This record gives sequence, structure tokens and C-alpha cells, in this order.
Amino acid sequence: MKEYKNRNLITIFTKGDIFSKISYIVCGASNMRHGQIIKGLLFLCLEISYIFFMITKGAGMLQALTTLGDNLQGMQFNEEIGIYEMHAGDNSMLILLYGVVALVISLSFIAVWYFSIVSGEAARKRAAEGKKNRGFIEDVKSLANENVRYLLLAIPVIGLLVFTVMPLIYMILMAFTNYDQEHQPPGNLFDWVGIKNFITLLSTGDRLSSTFWPVFGWTLIWCIFATFTCYFGGIILAMIINSKGIRFKKVWRTIFIFTMAIPSFISLRVVATMLGEKGIFNVLLQKWGFTQTALPFLSNANWARVSVILVNVWIGVPVTMLMVSGILMNIPGELYESAKIDGAGPITIFRKITFPYMWFVTTPYLISNLISNFNNFNTIYFLTGGEPHTLDYYKGAGQTDLLVTWLYKLTKDSNDYNLAATIGIIIFVISAIFTLVTFDGSGSLKNEEGFQ
Amino acid sequence: MKKNVIGLNLKYLDYAVCGVFLMAISVFLPYAALSDGRKNLISVMIDLIRSANGHALNLMVYLTVAASFVSFVFGVISFNAASVRVVKAWQAVQAFATAFWTFLLFASKTILESAGIAGEFMNKQLSFGFWIALIVSYTSLVLIMRMTKTNVGYIILTILGVIWMFPILWILLTALRAEQGYYVGYFIPKKLTLQNFANLFSNNSVIPFKKWWLNTFIVATASCVINTLIILATSFTLSRTRFAGRKAFMNVLMIIGLFPGFMSLIAVYNILKGLGLNQSLLALIVVGAAGAAMGYHVTKGFFDTIPKAIDEAAIIDGATRLQIFSHITLPLSKPIIVYTVLGSFLASWSDYIFPSMLFGDKQSSYTVAVGLYWLTDFRRIDKYYTQFAAGAVIVAVPIVILFIWLQRYYVEGLSGSVKG
Repeated sequence: MKEYKNRNLITIFTKGDIFSKISYIVCGASNMRHGQIIKGLLFLCLEISYIFFMITKGAGMLQALTTLGDNLQGMQFNEEIGIYEMHAGDNSMLILLYGVVALVISLSFIAVWYFSIVSGEAARKRAAEGKKNRGFIEDVKSLANENVRYLLLAIPVIGLLVFTVMPLIYMILMAFTNYDQEHQPPGNLFDWVGIKNFITLLSTGDRLSSTFWPVFGWTLIWCIFATFTCYFGGIILAMIINSKGIRFKKVWRTIFIFTMAIPSFISLRVVATMLGEKGIFNVLLQKWGFTQTALPFLSNANWARVSVILVNVWIGVPVTMLMVSGILMNIPGELYESAKIDGAGPITIFRKITFPYMWFVTTPYLISNLISNFNNFNTIYFLTGGEPHTLDYYKGAGQTDLLVTWLYKLTKDSNDYNLAATIGIIIFVISAIFTLVTFDGSGSLKNEEGFQ
Repeated sequence: MKKNVIGLNLKYLDYAVCGVFLMAISVFLPYAALSDGRKNLISVMIDLIRSANGHALNLMVYLTVAASFVSFVFGVISFNAASVRVVKAWQAVQAFATAFWTFLLFASKTILESAGIAGEFMNKQLSFGFWIALIVSYTSLVLIMRMTKTNVGYIILTILGVIWMFPILWILLTALRAEQGYYVGYFIPKKLTLQNFANLFSNNSVIPFKKWWLNTFIVATASCVINTLIILATSFTLSRTRFAGRKAFMNVLMIIGLFPGFMSLIAVYNILKGLGLNQSLLALIVVGAAGAAMGYHVTKGFFDTIPKAIDEAAIIDGATRLQIFSHITLPLSKPIIVYTVLGSFLASWSDYIFPSMLFGDKQSSYTVAVGLYWLTDFRRIDKYYTQFAAGAVIVAVPIVILFIWLQRYYVEGLSGSVKG
């Protein structure tokens, strides 16, 4: 029999032998036929347990997803004893969660099913070519060699599935429900509402959208300022420390690295207490005669926004400095020598040599920094907690809140999970578009094997 | 035409001498507008000497005046006979003069008020004599440094260094402060003590800090080991082996990474509840390990730089992929292993969001991050501020030491991954 190319689900079915076709229904049939008994049995066991799961629980779980529960918790008259009884209603949240679990299990099974068919077909092909198929023990041994990926990636993949992918699907689905304060299980049910949340959040007029847009605007301003102040500050600092004639370079670097080494929750909390109305900054400024009354570092919206950016400089500049130091040393010295001979001043040298080189090397870093600042939870949350509050905003949101900190507050304080999920999806879309646009032009992802 | 001196750049000499001359002159110019009219620094100095209750800071005024004149004298000497030694000495004196003038900007209020010369003094009452002196002193210092070919960056680094260390110094001093309370009207404590540290660890303390510290240490150590292994394994597979679906897998990881991480925490919480793991430290470790693979980028970038020929040679010699991983790749990757270990230790050491959501009110399970944040709540801050500071120092010190010690690896690990 002539072997075919392009092995896929359709060709295997049409071009394979009868056992290949049986494998579509009875997983592992082809493996068992061609000498891989244990492997085939394993596939079969997985299939049987999946079917068992679906019959006993899974189907019900998936089916309940469509309604998210109908029975409200409440009192019901029990005719036998003649009194009203508390009767537990459906818990929409658990229904949604179980539904997602069943969904993920089903998807995993489809992956196993596909894998078993391909594996069975490979076994058939080897048998047809007259080669001996690997036994189970040899298969296990191959885990240390050409199949090492199954061994090394198994735990990470399972971990990601259970604690990242599954929760993520759950939260994405939640964005399309009305799971807010007024629909809290178990006392209440929530239901699918389509894209209503997106519309209320994005369209103008509503109180929510008049909170969303200002918060979004500030997030963008923050993201740009926070990234570029730290970036240029770090470059300048690194250039000063690395310039000729500065002695004790290591000592200087260590002084600045202190802020980087101290966990940010500590340094930010400390600075937050220092910036308070009775904090040491205000005390000293008054004592030194710069001001008579306390300055509203964190209590006035505009002051707070500037303070947050400045404190971020304090935290972030050393990070860039440390990173850039290595790159600066890689710039060929001859470039500087010849520039000096040609009479270029320090500013021209920076503009024409240092900066273009730096820009070229650090673009990926800059991009990822922009995204991480867009989602910079720590700085804002530990420093201001999003405050100062304003009556113009939907409750909880403050004037230094970023989208992420607002999201966190919506989950933790006001239990508006649907809104939080909606904001999460919006953040994702923005980051994804930004990443796609920028990384498309950057070579660092494409030249993966450039160094090998 | 002046003679040349080896090691000096005499181009700036004239300007520098003018500068220090101006600075010396401005001692006689109005220093501050006081209740009885504008006064120069000399007459303020005389008033200070006369006044009965001397303040330690008065010395600052005397030193400023002295340094300004001495610097002027040095200027005159070097104008006539410049030598490297004299100019170097001049530079040192001028540096002191500049520092003293800067200090006066901060100390004037205290000095003038405690001597009874001024009632309510504000810095805007400082007169043009002072501002000229301040600006000129910096300019002259720069000029003299130009002359001795010293890098002017020292001035910037010193000022920035002071700013950068200020909050760190403050938290250290607060941790050692005997006077309790959040609000104190001074920077340096009146009395130093170690009691704050002792209180944190005493058994009858309200704050279970010992427990918090132990919790964090257990979680951080376990996570650090497990996460590092997972990150290394993932990066190795993605960097050193090729298989169908590898690119897709990386893309999926990237897409997942673009979602804000804690968006799904509430679901994670429910899953943990289902597994019976809620409110336990194990949950922190498990969840941390489950997401660890997402941080493969830097490590993979480093592995990418190891030449492929080494692997191929090993395969010809009969090594399995697993042996390549453990016997070739890992020994070559010390910087990145240190970087990963440090990174995962730090991450779990200072993680706040998830533990705070996980533990809620169960204080005995808090990690230091949650605990210390809880202490700075406005209801508790006044009572526990010094203990919070002590706690912060205890938490930060090991990490700072670790970080400074391993700094080299950190830079190497990063620069291995940064490519154009």
C-alpha cells in the first residue's frame, strides 16, 4: 500500500485501514492492533472514564450553563409537616464554575482523542513499513530523550490549565452575565445578559461610562509618563555613573539599587506614610520654611497624580539604570572617539550615538514596560489606593485609580464581578492590539535563533 | 597669555575666580528680610554670637562665611600661581562652601527663629544675596571641577544619592525610634532603641509578626525552588527542542499573559475551595507554581544564546535530552539560574494581592506583605508605626543583602536575554 502525505483527521479516516477508522470511536484500537497494547488500553481507559464522567455529571453541568439556574432560594410550603421550609436554590456561580470545568475536561479529552488517532495511525504506518513498534517501556524511556517535552511540560501545562486557563474562561464568561452586587449567589441568581456590560461601560451617558473614560485616560497618561520618565532617567543615570572619571562606580550603583532591592510593597507603603498630611515630608517642609500649611501630596487629585509619577521614578529609574549599564558598555568605544575628534559635544554624541543604539536594543524592553505600567497595580495601590475619591465616579473608584486597580476594587470591595471581568477583557484587548502592532516591527521575536 | 599647568585646564580659571569673588561679596549682600530690615550674613552672624541661647546649627552660618572667604583666598592664590595641589584644595573648600550654602536653605528658619532674630521665618524672606551666593557657589564648583578635569557627575550623583537614600534612612531611623507614634516633628529620633524589634517578636505582642515572617519564609522558599524548576524546564523545552505546536504554545502563553493576572483570582479562590485548599499556605505555593511557566521569557532568551553545536555534539555522544538539560545547559547557565531563583523568591516574598484575597481576616496566615499593609491602615498606623518600620527593616534587610551580593548575576542574566 502506498503511503500518503498530509496526515490529518480526514486523510487518516479515508486512507487508513479499518482499525484507523475504529479508532475514531474506540480510542487506541489501532495502537492495540499494531502491538502497542498498553498504550492503546490507556487511551481506551481515558475514553471510558470521560464517557462515564459525562453521563454521570458532565452533561448536566454543561446543560445547566445555558440557564445558569432557575430555582431561586426561598421558602416553600412543605405539606407533609405543614410548615414553610428554607429550600436551597440554584447557585449560579457554582453552576458557571462547574460548567467551565466540564468544558475544559471536554476540550482536554478532544486533545487526547486527536492524539490517540494520530498515534494509532503512526503505529499502523510503522507496521506497514515492516518496522517494529515501540513497546510501552521504550515509550517511557523516550520521555527522557526525543519526547522530553511531555515530561518537562506536563506539570506546567496542567498547572496552567487548572489555575490559569480555567479561571480565565470562567471570568471571561462572567463578563457576559449580570453577576453584580444585586445578583449575589446563593441568595440570588444571575443570568446571561450578552454584551450589555460592554455597552454600559463604554457608551456615554451612564455613570459607569463617565467613570470608565476618565480612569482610562489617566491610565494612558500614567502609562506613558511612568514608562518614559523611568526610561530616560535610567539612561541618564547609567551614563553618568558609567562616564569616565567617576570613581567607586559600584558604590554609586549600590546606593541606587537599594530602592530596587527593597520589596516594593514596603518602600511604597513607607513613602505613602511619608507623604501623608502629617508625614515627614510635610513636617520637614514646614520646618525648613518652604511652606506654612501641609501640602496635599496625596489628597488633591493633581498633586497625587504628580506624586505617584515621581515616586515611580524613584522606584523605576534604578531598574532601567541597572539594565542599561550593561548595554552602555557594549557600545563600541571607537564611535565616541571619532565623534569627539570630529568635534561633537556631549549632547550631539547622546543624540547621534548613544540614544539610537540604546533605542535599537531596548525597544522590546520598552514595549513590555509600557504594558506592565498600563497594569501597574502595585505602585498605585500601595501608594494612594486610588484615592482621592470623587463623587463624580462610580463608587469606589478614585482619581488616581488605573483600570487594574479599579478592577481589583470592583472584585474585592463592591463584588461587581461582571464589571471587573468586562474591564479585564478591555485591558486584554488594548494590550493585545498594542503588542501586535509594536512587536510586529521589532526583530527580537523573529530572530529567536540568531545566536545559536 | 597664562602659562600652562599639566593636569589643569586653565581656560576656566578666570571665571572660577570671578565666581568665588562674587560668592564672597554676597556674604555682605542682604541675606534675609527680617523684621528690622534686610540683613547680610555677617550681621546675622554677629547677632547669633551675641544671642544667649545658641543653637548647634549656628555653626552652619559661621562655617558658610568661613568657607566662602577661604575659597576666595584659594582663588586668589591660584590666580597668581596655579598648581594642581592648590586647585585640588580649592575644589575641596569650594565643595564644602557649596554644601554649607545649600544647608542654609534648609536650616535658616531654625537658626533664625531659635536665636530670636526672626519671629515667623519663611524661605521666601531669604534675600537676593543668598540666592546669588547659592547659584554662584554651584557654578564656581562646576568651573573648578572642569579645571581639575573632575567629572561634574559627582555633584548630580551626590544630590540624587541623598534624595534616593532619604526614605530609606527615614525608615531605618523610625525603626530605631524610642518615641512612638506616626507624627513626630523631627527627622532624627531623640532617643534610639531596639525595643521596636523586640516588641515585634515578643510572645505577648498583638501582632503575630513571628508567624507572618515564618509563613512568608516557608512560602517563598518552597515557591522559589518549585518555580525555578518549572521555569527552567519550560524554557529548556521551548528553547532547545523543536516540536509541532511549540510556536502555538508560546503564543497561547503570551495571550494568557496579556490578561490582568488577578482578574481571575475569584475563580482561583473557588477552585481552591473545591480542592479544600482555601486559607492555607499550600494554596499560595500551588497557585504560584501553576503560573510559573508564564515567566519563561528571560530564561528562554538566555538558553537561546547557548550554541546549538554543543547539544548536537552531546547527542552524537549518546546523551539523552534530559542529560543535556542537567549536564550541559544548566551548568552553563549559572547567571540565569541565580536570576530566576532571586526573581521567584522576591516575587513570592512580596506578593500582596493573592494572599490578601485568600486569607481575608485570618491574621495568623498572613504573609509579611499582607501583615505590614494591614498595620499601615489609618486605624492602626499611629499605634504601630515604629513597629511597622521595624518589620519593614527586618523584611528588607535579607533581600537587600541577597540582591547586592547577587547583583552581578542579575545584570548578566538580563543582558544575556537582551538582543537587538
